[in-house]
Amino acid sequence: MRLRWTHRIVILILAVGLVRGSIPLREHIRYQRLVLGIKQPMPLTKIVDFDPTALSGVMIGAVLGGFREVAAAMMWAKVHTLWNQGEGTWFDCLHVMRSTTLLDPHWIEPWRVTAWHMAYNLYVETDDPKLRANLLDRAIAALKEGISWNPEEVELFIELAWTYFDKLDDYEQAAKWFRATLHMPHPAYIDRMIAHGYEKLPDIPKALDWYDYCLKRDPNDNIARGATLTIRERYLPAWRLLEAGDYDGALALIDQYLEVEPEGTIALHLRAHILEEAGRLDEAFDGWQRSADAMALDDLARRKVAELGTVLGKDVALVPTQVLRRESPEQMSPAPVFKEEKK
Amino acid sequence: MEGNPVGLIDLSLEVEEGQIFGLVGPNGSGKTTTLKLLLGLVFPTSGSGEIFGYPLGTLTYKQRIGFVPEGPYFYDHLNAVELLRFYGSLFGMGGAELESRIEYLLKLVGMWQRRDRKVLDYSRGMLQRIALAQGLINDPDLLLADEPTSGLDPIGAIQIREVLMRLRDEGKTIFLCSHLLKEMEPLCDRVAILNQGVVCHEGSMEELLTGEDGRYVATFRDLDQVALQHLRVLAERVDSEGDQYVAAFSDQQSATAAASEMIDKGAQLIKISPQRLTLEEVFIEAVGGIPE
Amino acid sequence: MSAIWRIAKATFHEALRRRFLNGILIFGILIIGSSWTFTYLQPGAELKMLVDIGLGAIRFFGMLIAIFVGVRLIPDEIEKQTIHTLLAKPVTRAQFLLGKFLGGVATVFTNVALMGLAFVIVYMVKAPQLRELAPDEGPGISMVFMAPNIGKAIGLTCFELLILAAIAVVASTIFSWVMASIFSFFIYFVGQMADFLRELASPEHGADTASTIVFGVLYRILPHFEIFDIRESILKDNFVPWSLLGNVAGQAIIWVVVVLMIGYLCFNEREV
Repeated sequence: MRLRWTHRIVILILAVGLVRGSIPLREHIRYQRLVLGIKQPMPLTKIVDFDPTALSGVMIGAVLGGFREVAAAMMWAKVHTLWNQGEGTWFDCLHVMRSTTLLDPHWIEPWRVTAWHMAYNLYVETDDPKLRANLLDRAIAALKEGISWNPEEVELFIELAWTYFDKLDDYEQAAKWFRATLHMPHPAYIDRMIAHGYEKLPDIPKALDWYDYCLKRDPNDNIARGATLTIRERYLPAWRLLEAGDYDGALALIDQYLEVEPEGTIALHLRAHILEEAGRLDEAFDGWQRSADAMALDDLARRKVAELGTVLGKDVALVPTQVLRRESPEQMSPAPVFKEEKK
Repeated sequence: MEGNPVGLIDLSLEVEEGQIFGLVGPNGSGKTTTLKLLLGLVFPTSGSGEIFGYPLGTLTYKQRIGFVPEGPYFYDHLNAVELLRFYGSLFGMGGAELESRIEYLLKLVGMWQRRDRKVLDYSRGMLQRIALAQGLINDPDLLLADEPTSGLDPIGAIQIREVLMRLRDEGKTIFLCSHLLKEMEPLCDRVAILNQGVVCHEGSMEELLTGEDGRYVATFRDLDQVALQHLRVLAERVDSEGDQYVAAFSDQQSATAAASEMIDKGAQLIKISPQRLTLEEVFIEAVGGIPE
Repeated sequence: MSAIWRIAKATFHEALRRRFLNGILIFGILIIGSSWTFTYLQPGAELKMLVDIGLGAIRFFGMLIAIFVGVRLIPDEIEKQTIHTLLAKPVTRAQFLLGKFLGGVATVFTNVALMGLAFVIVYMVKAPQLRELAPDEGPGISMVFMAPNIGKAIGLTCFELLILAAIAVVASTIFSWVMASIFSFFIYFVGQMADFLRELASPEHGADTASTIVFGVLYRILPHFEIFDIRESILKDNFVPWSLLGNVAGQAIIWVVVVLMIGYLCFNEREV
């Protein structure tokens, strides 16, 4: 029998009331999912990164059918195809790589390779410090995003720490991200990387602390043992004089070593650092320049030259890390503060 | 006619208990629509109706009615017994009572021997028999049937008619829709003729077939040619039936006068009686003749 | 209640015999059964791939079955006119609608259970082997909560398909079954992007007022299908609390009731 109008209205009101009344439950579910860390891939804000031209009809079917992983794998195969076409397609590769991470954010390989591609391959395609800084910034951002999706995947932490270590010479940040892996199963060399970073900074006491940690973890770690002996013999005496304020004494000790090993990177870094601490910035500038000249890959020295040169008003080229520190300060350790010369 | 098609116009029927009421009409006249209205499957744009005092579409009267559809379809994965059990359960029937009812009905419609076959394998006629059985599963007081003999062979059709008449004799009411006039004529107590959604004739079968215009027929035998010629002049129409001649007259007076003349000419008068039409003739006249 | 149960039972038995649906089920089981062959596509993440494809297949093929069962339930009855004999009995339209819906849902759940069983078998055989392929460094995929999480995921899929089946059935009371299928697919895919709609409805994204209103309304009235996806928790091997399951199930029931109420209003007006 047909419903009366009044009954129809009552049912409609009930339906609307149920929908309205369920909103708090819906929001509570949303909150619960947030707390549990259940996220949906490809949020709106990331859709601009997606390269729709890389999608084929089959992939679209796979995505819509819930087989995102298969679609991601198919897209990754497209990366290989572009890669094999040579350097002219490297920027195209980047878009497809990024799209793959959006399709399957739990697949580690695309995150790693995307960041590596930006920080290494595309980095050398340009000399512009701004563009290089942008590439490094995006590489770091990509790895951090990958970590947010996969907080227990040690590979991504290692990749991020290595990017800081190798491309930015930001050993503080590198140490921070290496340390983040300590609670997970990780390769043994990671612990030594932390120590080595502090060595290069230089921060001798912290380097020794970390090598001691390596030896406590594994008493048979001969590399750590050898490094500890080397540091104690070569650098610790000078460092102690530095801490006591005897800059000339410290310099004399380091210069003794440099007579034997004139291109020793850590010794050169320590010498320049002593001069910085003494406030003798012009000499420190020359010291870092000497280190940069001695080792083509010593980007830390090059960065120091640029930073000191800027402070001293010298005509120096900006380096990417300076640009990055200025434009994305949250990605880097704080800028060094150079002391006034102690007269 | 342009515009929205109209199913029924000002339909008004009254069916008394204990009779077979026939709704006849050509295809598309609105017979099935009428049944659907009674069952609450479609809704009137205006007006109302009642069955057993309950408004149309109410669940209450559906306990007491049965419906036999035209060209029926059923769940084809069931067999006859399972199908009737399903429909019986919808009336709250069950157990031994339902089983014995199923057996009785399947024997009644001649499907007991084939009760284990799936509906999928049934012929049109078998489906019609099952349709009647399911329509009677609840022993309804009112049976609504749409072309109940459709698809049946002549013997099957006779069997079904006998069932319907037996039900009427038991005091059931039957509302039939059909276009098979020859079957409806001996079956129905009252008839309504539906044409293009309008009831153009309604009345008892006797009234309809007798006609209101007072026409008479006289039957003769032993007419010689001269008498026969004279009879043809006097009567509106003369038909021969074997050795007899049937003459139609516009009224009783004409018939009596002609009979007297024929007797004088040596013919034998068999009978004089009011003219009885067939339902088909009534129907054709009601719908405005046979279209060219 | 008896009429609802009887109609549901008849609907279930009839639906199970449809060749088209059995074809979808068989194809789904084949995909699930061979899901482990796709795992080579993500070296080092084979177990993740196995779980993702298996659960994804159950969801996808379950979605197809829910829609194609749902959109044919009532139109087929009307087309074959079996609805006439049913509604001529003391059966209300509400009982008919509910009975058909429950019968359809039973069909969907049966199919999901069969696919779930296939997946469980594949998982029990292949998961230990694939776990061995995970890298030593890093957690790979731990499996502490994986088995119960998979069970919970399949359970949530059932609730998701419950809503979808209701939408399909109700849509078929308004549209033809073809249009109802398209409508149901559309609602399903848009419903997966509730978070998108939420952001689009936010004025901070710079949309004009009309668009903001439209997206806001869509966000509020459409079912949010993404709440049934707990893939993240499975991959991180986190415990999924029963309270979340209960809340999601409750939300699903509310949606089903609302959709069926709308369906009843529409179906009650429909002439058959």
